[in-house]
Formats: sequence, structure tokens, C-alpha cells
Amino acid sequence: MVPLIAANDLVKAFPASRSLRDMARGHRPVLRAVNGVSLAVAAGRALGIVGESGCGKTTTARLLLRLEEATSGTVLFEGQNVSALHGAALLPFRSRVQLVFQNPFDALNPRFTIRRSLTEPLRNFGLPAAQWEAMIREAMARVRLDPAEAYLDRHPHELSGGQLQRVVLARALVTHPRAIIADEPVSMLDVSVRAGVLNVLRRARDELQLAAIYISHDLALIRYVCEEVAVMYLGRIVESGPTAEVIAGAAHPYTRALVAAVPVPRVDQDRGDLPIIGGLPDQRNQPSGCAFRDRCPLAFARCAEEAPPLRAIAPGRHAACHLA
Amino acid sequence: MDALLDVRDLAVHYRTAAGPVRAVDGASFTVPAAGIVGLVGESGCGKSTLGRALMGVLPRSASIAAGQAVFEGRDLVTLSPAERRKLLWRRLAFVPQTAMNALDPVQRLAAQMQEVLVERGGLSRAAAGARAVELFAMVGLDAGRLRDWPHQFSGGMRQRASIALALALNPALLIADEPVTALDVIVQRQILDVMRDLQSRLGLAMILVTHDVAVVAYACDRVVVMYAGRVVESGPVRAVLEAPLHPYTMGLMNAFPDLERAGGELVPIEGAPPSLLNPPTGCRFAARCPFAVARCEKDPALLEQAPDHHVACWRAAEAPALRPLASEAATWSR
Amino acid sequence: MPGASAMRRRPLPGFVGSGLGFLRKQPFAVAGLAIYLTFILLAIFADQIATHDPREILFRGAYRVARYLPPSATHYLGTTAGGRDVFSQLVHGTRSALQVGVTAAFFVVVIGTLLGLLSGYLGGWVDRVIMRISDIILGLPFLPFVLVISALTRPGTTTLVASVALMLWPNTARVIRSQVLSLRERGWVEAARVTGCSTPRIIFVHIAPQVAPLAALYGSIAVGWAILTEASASFLGFGDPNAISWGLMLQDAFANQALSRGVWTWFVPPGLCIVLLVLAGFLVSRGSEKLLFPKLGD
Repeated sequence: MVPLIAANDLVKAFPASRSLRDMARGHRPVLRAVNGVSLAVAAGRALGIVGESGCGKTTTARLLLRLEEATSGTVLFEGQNVSALHGAALLPFRSRVQLVFQNPFDALNPRFTIRRSLTEPLRNFGLPAAQWEAMIREAMARVRLDPAEAYLDRHPHELSGGQLQRVVLARALVTHPRAIIADEPVSMLDVSVRAGVLNVLRRARDELQLAAIYISHDLALIRYVCEEVAVMYLGRIVESGPTAEVIAGAAHPYTRALVAAVPVPRVDQDRGDLPIIGGLPDQRNQPSGCAFRDRCPLAFARCAEEAPPLRAIAPGRHAACHLA
Repeated sequence: MDALLDVRDLAVHYRTAAGPVRAVDGASFTVPAAGIVGLVGESGCGKSTLGRALMGVLPRSASIAAGQAVFEGRDLVTLSPAERRKLLWRRLAFVPQTAMNALDPVQRLAAQMQEVLVERGGLSRAAAGARAVELFAMVGLDAGRLRDWPHQFSGGMRQRASIALALALNPALLIADEPVTALDVIVQRQILDVMRDLQSRLGLAMILVTHDVAVVAYACDRVVVMYAGRVVESGPVRAVLEAPLHPYTMGLMNAFPDLERAGGELVPIEGAPPSLLNPPTGCRFAARCPFAVARCEKDPALLEQAPDHHVACWRAAEAPALRPLASEAATWSR
Repeated sequence: MPGASAMRRRPLPGFVGSGLGFLRKQPFAVAGLAIYLTFILLAIFADQIATHDPREILFRGAYRVARYLPPSATHYLGTTAGGRDVFSQLVHGTRSALQVGVTAAFFVVVIGTLLGLLSGYLGGWVDRVIMRISDIILGLPFLPFVLVISALTRPGTTTLVASVALMLWPNTARVIRSQVLSLRERGWVEAARVTGCSTPRIIFVHIAPQVAPLAALYGSIAVGWAILTEASASFLGFGDPNAISWGLMLQDAFANQALSRGVWTWFVPPGLCIVLLVLAGFLVSRGSEKLLFPKLGD
């Protein structure tokens, strides 16, 4: 499997807020939002990145898209290192890797018609104007917005959330990208229209053989659209593998808690206590050793001494836990 | 059934330049004296407006246009603001969606607790202090954190604090507007556990407004399904979620990705809810309903189809036959 | 949540689109626009409306300058100490007032918007340099600085306009910058980056139209300031001595002790005109403020 898009040991550090003591000592603490993330996605495959807010999943997506500069580590696209590209040199990459936004109500310029929003990427990436109309229609058909005429000359405020998210997806697909990254693509949508958008996303991935990366806090959604999943906790991947296997037999205690917490629409379900202690710690005061140990019901002496590396535990599966 | 709250044909209208928006348009349901009632529906279905109308915290552009809401024998709709203020906190309490709205950012938690307990509850300062510690313990917060400011709390802790604040004077009914929507799954589960635990320990009634059927399935005893300003189905959670009678409820159940159910296509409900500025006549779901027939042009009444299970659908009697059809995507994509 | 969805669905205030409805709801703005329109018509048709050449020294009989004539059918507002027709001066003064006001406002808007856009979107050292310069200018006393510049250079309309533009752009730049800072975080601006927009295209095609109404608001305030400044400078003798302006009329009246002579018809009308025109700017800006920030009104 040759990855279409890959990340190697990505790190993103932000300057953290300083306490008075830090200032007195001249410390400049940093907060590692992403702390050594590696991943790879092949064409036609989908990887889900799941975790709680603040785990670094959105920052990872922004690093992959080159919307933010990594502190260290590289992003590879079709085998080429794109981490150092800037300005015009970045354009071919931009046209190949597209983003689907979380909030469809904010993702389209309110003053542009749908047609103009879809034309923008075609113009910016220098596609011949003669092809624009055909490509726009192809994209609109792919997201099941037909007849396209009914939407193209309208403004965003005239469309519903589900329609807007399809337009956002059409804009991402209009330049025929090789990879798409979707950050919580349906979390702002009503339940009844979520399924439609997810189906469109999944079909587009299959038909165009896209490499897809979905960011979500919802494991059930990841289960529906991704064959592979990576679970993040405090900037690190703590477990990865085929989605069904990870959900059915989680190796990391954090994944187990996450799986247990996913809401399911069934009356008969396990309502026992979650296998996790307390809430997310302050990122500046992470425990020594394993970052999860102060919330882990299984923690023992070794967890405080050494941080477990992400290691293979079964074919295709990795986990960062001494007990896995 | 002994109802603590009996809402009858309640209508709430928003005044807009284009005319009244009927956000809630004749909603009826009851809340028993103990237990959690889930008020579920999509955005724009009127569930939040309904919750706010009961609390008397509607925005200025909205007003109750008709109906009544009898709470402990008194109609909340006709109550004067002064009388309503007497009920707030003591009998009726509110947890807003973002806990930051319930908490004063420039006061320590202890001071906010004191204010409610002393000013509203008439407790002595010492008694109030003890009660605050007790309340914090009840929602799983460390009493030491009473001296903290709201901004020092995480989202989940703020939500716990605002629940503690709402429970300060032992209300009979707690209305929580999307209390877990903005939270991560683990925190969401923890908050729901706190609410379930408090309900069973204190034996009070709660209304939990949410868009998430899974939250209802996990935490609620009864459910009220709203669509386009109306109640379309209501009853005990098990009856409604396991054997829904209304096609909309069936659709909602199938539109969810399930953690344990593999593969297959999700079944979307095509179309969008109608505009509440000029709602269609007849059944409001008819335009999106795969089972709509000529009769649906007339308004179906909310009737007791099974014991304690109300539904507003002309074809409710055929529901067992419709249910398998509703789980197929082809049915909905007409 | 109907409130939330209503907010989302509400079309953004299109400046032209909602213009008509806005006029009906904003009597202040309508009054301001009416005043503007009146003065613009006065300026355009000044030659037709004025009864005399404003520079012409009028004579009564042979060799007697027609000074201090009371208002009459031929001289609606009487004449000045120099024997010139006050009404005609007033009408022609509209031209220079509007010229100064509009050109100064134009430059204030152009410079302020441009620097505000660059400062807000680019950030970093560009932002720091522009904001420090604006801090310095905001720290300077306005009128004295204009007078010093006028005194050091050739006094005249160009100098006045340039110094008003130089002194007033920081206000515009600052509000535009803060608006851009929030727009920069919007999803569709990020989308523009992902879909390959160049930075200039993002700034001028995507963001600039969003801040245009705000720039127009600051433009209408600048019109008033520029006219006031021109009048003050002219009154203090730093204006263009050959121009016909309300400020010069006031200076002329003051120098000839019109006040103590009680020649109200000489100095009250130009003063009133200045007040009206400045007021119009503020009325319009108040109206458009409601349009831009509808929540302020509630």
C-alpha cells in the first residue's frame, strides 16, 4: 500500500500562557497540541481521527493541509515532501488536497453566488475557462444537487444546512482532488440530513478513489465512513487500526472509555460507570510517563516511569499502552 | 397519571417583519412528578422555544400566543411576572445550553451559590455555605473548587456547577436546554450520569431538551418528539424508540450511525422541515413522508394509540407494517 | 433552536439590497441624505442659483461700495463689508465645502481601508508598523497640526485635504483592522486559502467587500471633519485666500466686526451651513450604524 498522503512525526507547539513564576524564571512554556503524529492514507481509503476536543485532531488536519506550519515533522503527498513549499509552489498541492468544513453556514462567502464559490478554485488553479461550467455541473451532480440550475445562482443564505454542506463538498471536489480532509463534516447539521451528507461523502470517496481523512469526536460516525481509525489523546495517537476491530476490541484503556461513552439510540444499553477517571488534565501539567495514567483505572508503577511507545500489537493494529 | 406539568395546545410566536413565525404551534404533553422527559427534535422544531416559554425566558420578539401550561395546579402562561419569580428556583429551575450563560464570570462560584441560597432561599449565610458544599458534592465537584472562578472550570465542570446552582432550592422541575450538546462524548456521558443519579436520588422531574435521540435513549424515561412546532409522538422511551408509531420518529432512529451495526447505507430523511412562517396545512411531515396519503392533507390529532403512547399520524395503526419499510433507503428516496 | 437558525438564515446586510427598507426605518439617515442632496444640488447649480458673482464688488451709484446692505429682493442676505453679495458667496461656498469634504473623505477611506486591510490580514511586522504610525498620529493634536502643515507649506485646499487625510486615516484603519481580524477567522476565508486564492485576492476580492459599508460609515464622518477643519483653518487665516468658502466668509465677517455691528445675515448663514453639513454626515453615519450593527438598536 503506497500512501497518497502521509505525515511523519508531526509536532506543533504553541507558546502556552505563562504563570507569574514562569515569568520570574524566564521560562517560556510551550504546549504541544500535536506531539509526534505519524499517519498514512492510500488512495480510495479513509482514515478517521477521533478524540476529545483539545486532543489535537483539528490541528493535525490543519498541519496536513499546510494551513499551519509544523514545528517539526514532514507532510508527504504522492511521495513528495510538501512541508517546505510556499506561495505559488504550494498551488499544485492545494488543488490536490481539499478540505470539507465543519460549519457549512460559515464556509461560503455570503456575498458570492454558489456558482461563483465553485468557480473560485477553478480560476485560482488556472483551469481553462471553457471547462468551468462542465466541471461545476459534474461536481454538483456528484453531491446530488440536481438540477444544478436550481442552486447555482443563489446565495448561501437561501440554502439549508444540508444543501450548504453539499455545496461545500462540491467545491472541494470541483478541481478533481486526490485527497479530502473533512473536519467534523456533519456535526453542525440536523440529524435527519446528516445521513444524506455522509452517504454523498462515502460515494464520492469510492467513485473518485480519494484518500479521505475524517476528523470527528463521534466514533459511530467514523465507523460508518472509515475503514481505519486513529485515536488521539493529548496530541498523540494512542491507538490505531481497522475501525471495526478497534471498536470491538480496544487495546488502549482510553479507547475503551471512548467506545463505552458513544451514545447509541437504544433503550437497553450498558449504563455502568465509564472506565475512566475525571476529566482532561491541564495540558501544561501532564503527568510523567504515560499521559493517560492519571485517568487510567489500570495504571501501575511502570506507567509513571516510562511513556509507552506506539507499537504494533497485531497485524495492522498499534497501541501505546504497556498492557496492550 | 399524576402530572406535575400539563402543557395544552401551547403556541409561541416570534414576531418578524414577514409575519409571525409559529415556532411552537399547538404542543401538548405532560410531565410526571418524577422522571426525565426528553424533548427531542431537529433545530427549528420549537423544542428550545418551548423550554424557554415554560421558564418565562423567551426573547423579547417572542410571546405565548395560545394554550396553557399547568404546573402544580397553576397556569404558567397567565402567571404574573412577580408570581412567576416566586416559582423560579424554588419550584422551577433552568440549566441553559452553555453553562457559561448560567454562571456569572466575575463572581466566584461560592458567591453565586450564596446569592441564590440567601437571597432566594432565605437561608442563613452559614446554612448556605453548608448547602453549597453539599450541592457541589451532589454533582461530583470538589467543595474546594467553590472558591474558583467559572473560567477556571472545564466545560463539563461548568455544566455540573450550573446543575448544582439550579438544584440549590430543591425545585420540583428542572428544565435543561441541550445540556450536553457542546460537550465531548466522555464528559457528555458523565453529565448524563449526574443527571440520572440526581433524578433518582431527589425524585424530581426533569425536562431534557435535545436533538440527539441517543441522549434520550440513554437518560430519559419518557420522550416527546417534536416536528415543525408540534408534538408528533410522545410516550415512555421504550415504547416510542423501540416501536415508533410516527414515520418521522422511525426516520430519526434510522438516520443514526450505529456503533455496533456494520456497513449498509444510512437512511436520510430527504428534504427539509417546512418554514414556520407559512406552515403547510395538514400534517407537517407529509411533504417528506414516504407514507403520505390523501388523508394527510388534513391535520392528524395527537391521539393515544397505545396505552400512554400518543401519536399524531393518520396511519399510526399501520405502524408495525410501515416500520420495516422505513428502514430501507429506497423508501425515503422517492 | 429557532433563534439560532433564524440568525443563520438571515441574509447579510447587503448595502444596496436592503437600502430601500433601511430608508423607511431610518428617518435620521434620510434626513442626512436629504441635507447632502440639497447641498450637492446647490453646488452643481451654483452659477444658476447665485444672484451675483461672489467676488464682484458691488457699487451703489457711482464710486460708492455697496457695503452692509440689508437683505432685500436683490440681495437675499445683504452684502458684506467689501460690498459682495452674501447669498452668492454662500452658494458658491457650498462647492469648496463639498470639494474639501468629499476629496478628504475619499482619501481617508482609501488610505484607512487599505492600511486596515493589510494590517489586519497580514499581521506581523506590517501590522506593528502600521499600528505604531497610527498611534503616533492619533497622539497628535488635530487642528494645531493641520495649521502647522498649512503654515509650513503653501496654504490652500490641497494642503488642507492632504493634512486632513493624513490625520484621519488611523481611525478608519483601526476599525477596518479589527473587523478584518474577525473576518480572517471565518471559514470562508480559510476556504479561499485552501482553494488556492492568492493573498491579494483574499484581501481585495473576498474581504474588502465585507468591510466596504464600515469604510463608507467612516467616510461620512470624515466629510464632516474635513469641512469643519477647512472652515476652522480658513477662519484662522490658513485657508486658500482666493477661494470662496464658508470659513473665509466667517473670517471676513469676524475681521469686520460683523458681530458687534449686528449683521446677523452675514455670519449666521455660513455657520448654519457648516453645522448642517457636518450634522448630515453624522446623521448618515448613525443610520448606517444601525444597518451595520442591527443589534445595537435592540
